[in-house]
Amino acid sequence: MPLTEEIKIAALQLGQALRQDEDVLMYLNALQEVQADPTASALEKKMYDVYEGLIARQQAGEQLSQEETSAFYELRQQVLSHPLISKRHEMLRFIRPRLAQIAEELTFVLAVDFASFARTE
Amino acid sequence: MALQLNLVDPARKADPLEAATTLGTLLTHTPEYKAFITALQAVNSDLTVQKLSAEMRAHQATLQWGRDADDQHAAELTRLELEMDDLPLVKEYREAARDVSALFQAVDKVVSHEAGVDFAVNAQRSSCSCGG
Repeated sequence: MPLTEEIKIAALQLGQALRQDEDVLMYLNALQEVQADPTASALEKKMYDVYEGLIARQQAGEQLSQEETSAFYELRQQVLSHPLISKRHEMLRFIRPRLAQIAEELTFVLAVDFASFARTE
Repeated sequence: MALQLNLVDPARKADPLEAATTLGTLLTHTPEYKAFITALQAVNSDLTVQKLSAEMRAHQATLQWGRDADDQHAAELTRLELEMDDLPLVKEYREAARDVSALFQAVDKVVSHEAGVDFAVNAQRSSCSCGG
């Protein structure tokens, strides 16, 4: 849906304010560390590639073998236990209450739960 | 509309709560939001909707307690849901909800892109903390 210029500017300003928030900055730094680490980013990319491949085959009616699913879960465990990825997940968990607080301000003004309506599910 | 936008001063750290208030206020002036609030109020004050909702709650409570051996409550609940869905007021409400949702999603996309983090999906108190 196209936004009016005024709303777009206000949304950009909220995004910029979030980016400057100390808590969010810590998450963004953790995110940057993962992106800058070739091993971590390659490992994570591999996990998503394998996952998408398995899902596509499953949706096509193929029965996945126990070995394939076990290999995927092992790969996922490797990803989750990578120190940089684990730190990024931890930081995301850490900033969620801050993001919720800001979304609640929107909800207070609107008298409608902004986060629920904005989620694309 | 005579709202003052907070122009970004690079020397001054922007306050997300202040920015959220400004954005929320602007959203309350949109046709989508106004239509949604009107539809919501209409639905909430409609006697037929209230009556159907009360009946549905009674059947849902029975189902929650597992007292529906012959599936009569489940069948009645489905019938009431269809009856509710068929009400013009409810149809208008659902359409308005879809529109306001599309508006908020578009706003969230801009906020998230600028912030560098998915905003709405991570901004719910009940949000899963299982990673991602």
